[in-house]
Amino acid sequence: MEELGDIVHEFLMESHENLDQLDQDLVTLEQEPNSRELISRIFRTIHTIKGTSGFLAFSRLETLTHAGESLLARLRDGVQPVTQETITTLLAMLDKVRALLATIEETGSEGDVEIDSVIEALQRQMSEGAPSAEPPSPSAPAPEASESGDAASPSAEASTQQPAAETTAQPSTTEESAPQAETSATAEPTPTREIPDDPAGRRPLGQLLVESGAASPADVTWAVQRQVEGDERKLGTILLEEGKTTPTAVNEALQTQNKRSVADSAIRVDVDLLDALMNLVGELVLARNQLVRGVAEIGDPALIRTTQRLNLITSELQEGIMKTRMQPIEHLWAKLPRVVRDLANACGKRVRLVMEGKETELDRSLLEAVKDPLTHLVRNAVDHGVETPEERIAAGKNPEGTLTLRAYHEGGHVTVEVTDDGRGIDVERVAQKAIERGLLRPDQVATMDPREIMMMIFQPGFSTAKQVTNVSGRGVGMDVVKTNIERIGGAVDVDSTLGKGTTLRLTIPLTLAIIQALTVECAGERYVVPQVAVHELVYIDGETTKIEYASGTPVYRLRGKLLPLVRLDRVLDLPPAGDKGVYVVVLQADGRRFGMVVDRVLNTEEVVVKALTARFKDIGLYAGATILGDGKVALILDVASLARRSHLSAGQTERQAAVTATESTAKSGDVDRLLIASVGDRRVAIPLDMVTRLEEFPVDRIERAGMREVVQYRGQILPLARLSHLLGVMSEPEEEERIPMVVYTERGRSVALVVDKIVDIVEDKITALRDSDDDAMLGTAIVQQRVTELLDVRRAILAADPNFYNDAPDPMLVEA
Amino acid sequence: MASRQYATFEVDDQLFGVEVEAVQEVLSFHEYTPVPLAPSAVGGLFNLRGQVIAAVDLRVQLGLERQVIDGPVMNVILRTEDEPVSLLVDRIGEVIDLDDSQFEPPPDTLSGPVRDLVVGTYKLEDRLMLALDVKAAVDTSRVPS
Repeated sequence: MEELGDIVHEFLMESHENLDQLDQDLVTLEQEPNSRELISRIFRTIHTIKGTSGFLAFSRLETLTHAGESLLARLRDGVQPVTQETITTLLAMLDKVRALLATIEETGSEGDVEIDSVIEALQRQMSEGAPSAEPPSPSAPAPEASESGDAASPSAEASTQQPAAETTAQPSTTEESAPQAETSATAEPTPTREIPDDPAGRRPLGQLLVESGAASPADVTWAVQRQVEGDERKLGTILLEEGKTTPTAVNEALQTQNKRSVADSAIRVDVDLLDALMNLVGELVLARNQLVRGVAEIGDPALIRTTQRLNLITSELQEGIMKTRMQPIEHLWAKLPRVVRDLANACGKRVRLVMEGKETELDRSLLEAVKDPLTHLVRNAVDHGVETPEERIAAGKNPEGTLTLRAYHEGGHVTVEVTDDGRGIDVERVAQKAIERGLLRPDQVATMDPREIMMMIFQPGFSTAKQVTNVSGRGVGMDVVKTNIERIGGAVDVDSTLGKGTTLRLTIPLTLAIIQALTVECAGERYVVPQVAVHELVYIDGETTKIEYASGTPVYRLRGKLLPLVRLDRVLDLPPAGDKGVYVVVLQADGRRFGMVVDRVLNTEEVVVKALTARFKDIGLYAGATILGDGKVALILDVASLARRSHLSAGQTERQAAVTATESTAKSGDVDRLLIASVGDRRVAIPLDMVTRLEEFPVDRIERAGMREVVQYRGQILPLARLSHLLGVMSEPEEEERIPMVVYTERGRSVALVVDKIVDIVEDKITALRDSDDDAMLGTAIVQQRVTELLDVRRAILAADPNFYNDAPDPMLVEA
Repeated sequence: MASRQYATFEVDDQLFGVEVEAVQEVLSFHEYTPVPLAPSAVGGLFNLRGQVIAAVDLRVQLGLERQVIDGPVMNVILRTEDEPVSLLVDRIGEVIDLDDSQFEPPPDTLSGPVRDLVVGTYKLEDRLMLALDVKAAVDTSRVPS
């Protein structure tokens, strides 16, 4: 059995993964009962498990999956429709498969997991599902069984026989319908009878050649025979040398053969092995550092180049290994559709699960830590948040509730939100309950804001559910969620509107996550700012852009509005820099916008976030540390606490006003965000949606390619269109050294529209839109009390690059 | 008679030692990232094979001036409960076998910051070695910034 250990282990691992996917697929199938593709996929997976368990002589597992497979075969062939009961039964089967696998993992054998009741239920499904007369089409209404599949059937004998008869009556149910009698009786493994649908391995060259018609079957057989007889040449070589086929055909066949199938492109790796690799790479980095130092002393240029190369490779290798530990949150979410479905059914509710940001990556250790809290929140939302269909209809809502899971990187954290559109949290009730439970005094409640009161739900021993259900509402859970998340350095937050729904937000530290980051310099040291918090960068030249002081507090006029500034040097108690030649990094955190003044802005790069030792927790300004490309450590700034530290929190009311403002504009929907530029004497508006970036290029960077003007931009050639030419106006003479451009990028292609000056960005209702007599314009409107022309951006783009909307690259630009 | 191995190093010409088991490794390093607003005993952060390590300036811990970092500095990297921490020292000495008979508690007259960091004195042939309390030596919250 020793040599079988690995195989069993692999089988278990593979099956666990497959089962999670199956859960999800089955739940999806319930919603899309006609998806043949889904049924086939489910069928194949079960078939694989059955085949392998047969091979490994796990007979009970085989019997069980065989029964499931038979039912699936009937669904696949449309003999009977997919009903809620069928799905429930199949899910029950999966649970049994899990139980069996768990026993196998623990004891090495199947133990005595009870499987008969599920097999019975499966067979009852088959007998009930197929009416004797005409086979229903998959879309036909389900023949309702009076009893759902979990009660024990009165006669096991009868139900085992019936489907067997059924199967014989309908030979079309395929090769898979093995005699049912075998199911409950057999202890001997059924050999797998078919080659797996998609062979993962490489296909024989001979077969490929025959298929492509480049060699005759007889020749291939003959060549194989030669090999068998001791010819050591390769098959292709034999055929070629004997003149049975052409070199081109062999080459093609070899290429086809070498193409990786999906199954080949991913492999399973033991985490211990990854950790070991990680340590080894660490050692390599150390050795490299020593080498770099030694080589610098010797000073041999060739050797220095080689070590620099080694340096780079090592860094990349290190980063690559780090990345292998990252997993998309999808892994965690895979189980949730099933949880939601089962729970919603149990509570008599209808809940649709929406997932956004599945690809958000987290270190696997964190993923593990978030699993239980997240599941609890989801259960809680279904149980307490979403109302019953009747209640929802009464409240004028869609009877089907929506539960949204959303994950994204923000401000150096990963945020996971669980949002329901249910009844919301009743702040009054929470306050009342908190007083009843002695968690709050009535006079305290008076001074608390609703958000603070809502946070009481995370207090130990607090539950607002009117009825204690068996799912949640026993007062344990929410406080455990909070404790667990805080243990890994995260935070829990709640936001709710009565009658509208609730959002629970888990903020998880990155610890090991990889983020896009902006590196800045302050007092000679580099600091890292999470890119998500960065909105824009402004260079302060002290002339056209400058820092101003409002009673000693630095501010900057950003498009006419005052932006409060935080001087990083001052916050960090470093030697101060001046007000000229510095940069303002416009940041957004915690709903506040502010500018951080730094000496220099260096670059953006992906960095691996490392947890910072506990001894720096008290400082509160650092979200972590990272190792930059040159191997030096840099601190990652915690943008939110930077904002707080700088007494920006005073603007709480202002912030709320801002939120309300954006909400109302978002709702009204008829507000346009426009970029206003001047071209000659005309004011031109460009919808902000059509603006990817604003750039300035030195005049001497403009080159000519054929008839067109271009600049080199991020390794690409960027075609330009001068709006002054397009509008036929006299542009102000270019006395400026740098000219402003509006860059628009779509599908990896960019064009730039040259304007004279960027005037403003406005959010305004467009009033009094009139047709324009200028072809380049969509019309004329009053924006901010001034006549402004709306640019036909599409036309302008085509003027810069006639092929912008075609797929073919502009031949002229390719040449350039 | 029981004997122990000590890794020794010098700070301000005084020989210190920690038990060899507590030492992960010894290496010299020259680039430290300062941590603004951190306790003054924190010499900075550095990259040890992809791990961010805090270096504690033993001079500051002993009540001396900060070590000026303008070249390679010796690090004694200690294993602690939570994470490896580095001690910045002047010079690395040998690993020596010490006999329990050579041990004495710190002299009563020893006072100041040094007293808090030292668990005892070992009498070597030609000089004295102070055995450091590892936990206290890396505790940067002792000395206020």
